This record gives sequence, structure tokens and C-alpha cells, in this order.
Amino acid sequence: MRLQKKSAFLIQKESPVVLLLLVAGSLFPFVSDNFFYIEILKTAAIYAIFAMSWDILTGYTHEVNFGFAFFIGGTGYLSGILNSFFSVSPYLAIPIAVLAAGIFGIFIGYLTLRLKGPYFAMVTMVFASILFTLSFIFTEITGGEEGISGLDTFTDDPVKDFFLIWAVMAASYFVLRLYARSKHGIILKAIRADEDATKSAGINTAYYKIEAFALSGTLGGLGGGIFAHSQMHIGPTMLSGEISIIVVLLAMIGGMGTIVGPLLGAVGLSILNEYLRFVEEYRLVIYTGFLTLLIYLAPDGLINLKFIKDSKRLSFIFLGERKSK
Amino acid sequence: MNLLDIENLTKKFGGLEALLRFSLSVREGEIVGIIGPNGAGKTTLFNCITGFLPFDSGYAFFDGNDIQDKKPYQIVNLGLARTWQLVKAFFGMRVMEAMMVPSFSKRALSIHSSEKARQEKIEKLLREMGLEKNIWSEVDNLNQGELRLLDISRALVTCPKVLLLDEPFSGLSHKEIENISRVIQNLNNEGLTIVIIEHRLKELMKLVQKVVVINFGKKIAEGIPEEIVQEPPVIEAYLGKRRTKVGLA
Amino acid sequence: MDILIFGAVRGALYSLIAVGYVLIYSVGGILNLAHGTYYMLGAYLTYIFYELLFGTGGKFILILSSMLSVLTVGVIACIVYYVLLRPKIESLTYVLVITLALALFVSEVMSLFFGVAGTSVPSFVEGSISIAGIKVISQHLLLFPVALVILTSLWYLLKRTKMGQGIDAVAQQRDGAVLMGINIDTVNLIISGLSACLAALAGTLIAPVSSVVPHMWVFPLIKAFAIAILGGIGSLGGSIIASFILGYAEVFTSFLISDQLTEMVSLVIIVLVLLFKPYGIMGYKLG
Repeated sequence: MRLQKKSAFLIQKESPVVLLLLVAGSLFPFVSDNFFYIEILKTAAIYAIFAMSWDILTGYTHEVNFGFAFFIGGTGYLSGILNSFFSVSPYLAIPIAVLAAGIFGIFIGYLTLRLKGPYFAMVTMVFASILFTLSFIFTEITGGEEGISGLDTFTDDPVKDFFLIWAVMAASYFVLRLYARSKHGIILKAIRADEDATKSAGINTAYYKIEAFALSGTLGGLGGGIFAHSQMHIGPTMLSGEISIIVVLLAMIGGMGTIVGPLLGAVGLSILNEYLRFVEEYRLVIYTGFLTLLIYLAPDGLINLKFIKDSKRLSFIFLGERKSK
Repeated sequence: MNLLDIENLTKKFGGLEALLRFSLSVREGEIVGIIGPNGAGKTTLFNCITGFLPFDSGYAFFDGNDIQDKKPYQIVNLGLARTWQLVKAFFGMRVMEAMMVPSFSKRALSIHSSEKARQEKIEKLLREMGLEKNIWSEVDNLNQGELRLLDISRALVTCPKVLLLDEPFSGLSHKEIENISRVIQNLNNEGLTIVIIEHRLKELMKLVQKVVVINFGKKIAEGIPEEIVQEPPVIEAYLGKRRTKVGLA
Repeated sequence: MDILIFGAVRGALYSLIAVGYVLIYSVGGILNLAHGTYYMLGAYLTYIFYELLFGTGGKFILILSSMLSVLTVGVIACIVYYVLLRPKIESLTYVLVITLALALFVSEVMSLFFGVAGTSVPSFVEGSISIAGIKVISQHLLLFPVALVILTSLWYLLKRTKMGQGIDAVAQQRDGAVLMGINIDTVNLIISGLSACLAALAGTLIAPVSSVVPHMWVFPLIKAFAIAILGGIGSLGGSIIASFILGYAEVFTSFLISDQLTEMVSLVIIVLVLLFKPYGIMGYKLG
């Protein structure tokens, strides 16, 4: 019995629901030219990138990152500044900012991942708060409360932008799934189960945790950069505690440690959020209240609910990967 | 040659001396037992020489390498592997996955350079341990005996030169102990150097060539099993000051 | 000289907020991220009771509103503990996430009703007095006697009464306490309520002279955490001292360096302590 082929994943091992979603989304602009809906899908896709990349660290190691805004807003602002002050095209600004995110990820991961659980969680929040506070101090660069406006989009056509963003989301999904199935993912799961046992298996656990943290931050930063340019604006909300918490909730409600859960959760809940605009005044209250309720009712996430886990068929539909025997 | 050289190792927890100038040498191919009452310092010793606890003074050399300030994973990659007294397993994963983890260690990767070779080694080990039917089971579903065997298998995947076993018999039935003893004996016959901490004296004495006795962090006796059980300090340590002959039966 | 007074005022305020936070972490092992929210609710509820329920009615009504607000927050905290936290209290991740989610939700609710601009409440004691030539707002000075009385009572409660000793036992050795027949749940419940009341008290006292806005829960939470790790988890005396250290550090920064950097002080403290002194300042290993 071989565990898996050495080459890249096979399509039939992937979650059917996700594949369906990815295809359906990419076909959407052909069946509808409602720009409003396309914008909603764009936002949903970006939040999916946030949730999935958050998951590869926290879902797989149980080190809880409460300061994801650091990467989201940090990269967004860096790319925005490059674009706005130095006229660097988003196609270059974003990669540069993402690279910076990666480097910071390695640096911060190295400093913080040795802290015990709750302290790690708090210190991630603190790093994000530091950036948030800094954005109000250096207002000439960051625009303070108002942020930076007038950023360039990717193409001149919102639909083309949509395809780009949807493609990036799909690519992120496959990259993260591949990573999770690889030696790296298996080691992270082992660390999650018992770090000492993993160390006694000859594994440098610190390295793999830092790597996951950096990957998480890099992809999250990619999402942040894309978000900034798709909205043509970056503001302090992308560095706030609010967005950090929302990403956590989206991923957890979806179901940590699966990549699929956060994707579906983020897409579903983001669409709900937009749908609630018909009661705009109450939207945020309903949305945050609903998220709180969901995490209370399903602390392990919707995809990890017992009735799905216990059913072989449902398990396969959502998560794919039917292991032999 | 001495694979393991521990000299005057001292470890204190505040005022408590967990280990006091403890020394031990283990030759290649030996199978050594470490015994002593609860709290004597046996597991602390293992923790110190595997990098999980820093020690205050003394020396520890493994295969010629100074292992004092090394991290646990580095020591494993030098060839010193250990098992755990309280079950530590990769719960939430399948047995096969759990066994792949040690196969990703630097040492295992360099010895078995192809994925195929690693895969075969894992399957071979699981077969030798009698766990081949469990390859795809969830680790959570294994019983205590199987978990111990899995722990030993996990250690063996890293191709160690010396294996430290921490109370491998604890919580097992007689039959399971017999099974594991046989496995340990075979491993030693094939050339693996083994150090075992145990409380089940009868079963241990059948297995080892040399016994070291610890009490209150100090080595109080060292020798062959038949002699050790008759040494007064040893009897005293286990039974208190009484004049009783503790036989091998 | 003014630094002396302003720093002390801050210290007193922070000690009310932080002590509850440290208490519930040492005793219940609960890192309550909604703690800042209790502080915020203390402020908002005072306004709600005073303006909305009673209409204006003089100092007596004001104090009544204030006390009601503190009590209500205490009750809310107990409910939160009982309903939301108790079912899955072993999972630290869950506790962190749900208290944070709750904080966000409440913040949005306040935003909805009162807008981002905030509200205001009249002071208990009007105006300001001059101490050694410095103008000090009287409301601020109120913090001292209140903090003193409250914290001393708390100390008395913990050290001398039976209930307090039970709480202490849980903090020191949870399993032992269980064996002694102490009901952990009840202890956690009481502590949750008590700790929230302290935070709400701070909120209600500061409300007249500070901006009451929907996001005023964030920084008190961060500062409480900074004080906790500075003063040592489990040490109430240490927390009080740390509160004053933070208070003074902020005032120093504000006067001597830049007003904008005041909020950075607590953040920097947290980073420095956790990264470079994992043993904390009072000797508790945090890493």
C-alpha cells in the first residue's frame, strides 16, 4: 500500500465541493453581468485567502494567531505606499510587499513561537496593534484615519480583475493543500499532537513552526495586497483587531485544520455579510452576533461537525481524500 | 567502545538534588537496566541526556559527541533515541502517518535516501512489532500495548545506535510484556545498544546484562543482575532496612 | 510634579482594571479577552441608566446609575461565564476566541446605538482643584480613595474570609482544592463577576472625563495584559505595583517624548518582556 503518489496531488483526491465552487465561481461572470455580485465574489475570495492562510498555521499547529491584521494590513499598506508615492505598479508592488511579509514572518516567528500558547496569541495581537498605532503616528505616509486612496487596480476591467483574484484564491488553495499533505503538513500535525514526541523523532520543530508561520503570513499578505488594490484604498481597518478577529472566526467556523473549512466558511459568510446590506444599519451587529453564535454552537467548526465526520460520504464530499482501507 | 559516557552528572531543581554526580558508561552492544524506587531520578536522567532538561554540571558524551547543550532533535540525529514513560503518541493521525514523522528526521533521510526505502523500512518495522494490521488505523484506536510498540517503532525509524526505553513494561499484561521483551532481545541481538528503566524487576533481570541502581539521584550499585539483587543498599532502597533476600523469582 | 500626580491617577485606574484581569487568570485560568469590554460597558451603562432610564436627576441618581452599571456588568460577566465559557473551558483557544468575538459584537452594538462619536456623562465631582500649583481634575482624584477602598476590601476578602481562602486555594493548587470539596465552578463564577465589577467600576469612574467610544475596550485589555505579565500572574500585589509602573511610564513618555507614543508603551513592554525576559520580571516563566 503506498500512501500517496510522489507527484502532485490528483484531482480526485480533492474536495468535490471546493472544485465545484472554484469552477462555478470562474464561470459566474459569463452567466451574469451584475457587477455587484462580482464584487461580492471578489471580496469573498480575498477573505478566503485570509482564512486559508491563517489556517495553515493555527489549524495545523494550534498556535493561535490573533494578529493576522499585521500581515494583511502591513502588506496592504506597503504595497499601497509603493504604488501611491512611488508609482510602482501593483504587479510589482504586491510581490515586493509580500516578500517583506515573508521576511517579517520568519523574523517574528523566530522570536515568538517559543512562547507558550496564550502568550503567543497575545503577542501576535500586540504586533498587529503596534502597526495599527504606528499608522496613526506617521500620518503623512499612511494617511492616518483615512488611509491611502486612489490605488491602481490590476486591469482596467473589473471582470478581468475578478478572474485574477479568483485564480489567485484557487492557486492558494491548491498550494496550501499540497503543503498540508506533504512532509511539512504531516510534521505540523505531529507537532500539534505532541511536540515533545515530534522532537524525539528527530525533527527540528522550531523550524517547521516558523516555516508555517512565514507561509501563513506571506499568503495572508498576498491577500492583503490584493485587497488594497481591488478596493483602490487601504485604511486602518485592515490593521485593526476587528479584521484579525473576523479572519479567526471565519476560519474557525469553517473548520480549522482542513483548509477546505476556512475556504467554504469565508466564502459563505462573506456572501452573507454582503447580503445583509439590505439592513445596512444593523448589518455589522447581526453579522458579528451571528459569528459569535456560530462559534458557540460549533466550536470545532462546521466541517468538523460530528454528522459530517461520521458519514463517509459527506466526509468525502467536503474534504475529499478517501484514504485506502 | 563506549557509546554513552555520563560523568558526574548533577541536576538540581531548586534545592532538590534530582541527580547527584551520576556516572555511567555503556558499551556498544550492551543491554543495561536502570532500576530504583520511584522518584529516584531515572526519568530525569533520560531527560537530561536526551536534551529535554538542561543539567547543572558533569559531562555527557554520546558516540564521542558532547551532548550537553544540544537540542533533543539534534541528539536523536546523532543516533540516540528514546521512548516515553507516559504514553506520547501522535493522536489524531494514522499509524502510517505517525511513522512517517521520524522518517523525516535528518538521520533517517540520510540513511534511507529514497521515499521507497523509507516506506519499506516503516513497513518492515511495523511487521516486526506485530503492528502491520494497524498500518491504516487511527492512533487513537490502539491499546496501551500497541501504543508502546508504536513508540518503540517510532524511535527505531531514526536508525539509532542506542535506544533508551523508559518503563516499557508499565501498564502491560504478562503476555504483552513477553512480547515486548522478545522484541527488545531481538533488537539487542541485531546489535542495538539498549538502556532500560524498569520497575518490573523480574522481567527486567532476564533481559539485561548489567544493572545500575539509583536512589535519591545517586548511583548506589552497579553490576550483574544476580549480584545486584543481593546488595544490601539495593534491598534497603526497595524494602527499607530489612534483612531479606530478594531472589530472582 | 505633575508627572507624579498624573502617573498616580493612571496607576490607580489601571490597578482597578488589571487586578480583576489577573485574578481571573490566576484563579480560573481564564484569559478573558472581553475584560476590556466590561470596562467599556461600565462607562456606557452609566450613561444609559442616567440619561435614559432616570432622565437627569442630580448626584444621587448619578451614583445610583453608576452602581447599577457596575452590578449589571457583574451579572453579565457571570452569565457569560456560565453560558459561554463553562461548557468548553478546557480549551484555551475557544475561550480566547469566544471572548474576543463577544468583545467585537458588543463593540458593534454600542456603535449602532451610540455611534462612533461617543457619549458623555456628568462627573461625580465637578471641576478641578489645584495641588501644588497643578490643575488636577477632581474626578480623577476620586480614583484614589475608591481604588484604595476597593482593593483593600478585596485583599481582606481573599485573605480573611472563608470564601476568599477558597479562592486562594484554587489559585494555588486547583486539584488540591477540588479534593477539599471546593466547588471550582462557583469560585470561577464569583471571580468572573467580581473581576468584571472592578473593570466596570474603573469604566464608570472615568466615563465623565474620558471619551466613551465603541472601541475603548481594546487598549485597556492590552494594558491589563501588560500589567499581568509585568507584575506576575498570581501576584495581586505585583499587579498593583505594575499598574503604577505602567501608569508612570506612560505619563513620562507623554511628557518627555511624545504624546502619540503613549499607547505604544504598553505594547513595547509586552514585546520586551515576552521576547527578552521569558521569566517575566517577577520570576514566572512565561515561555
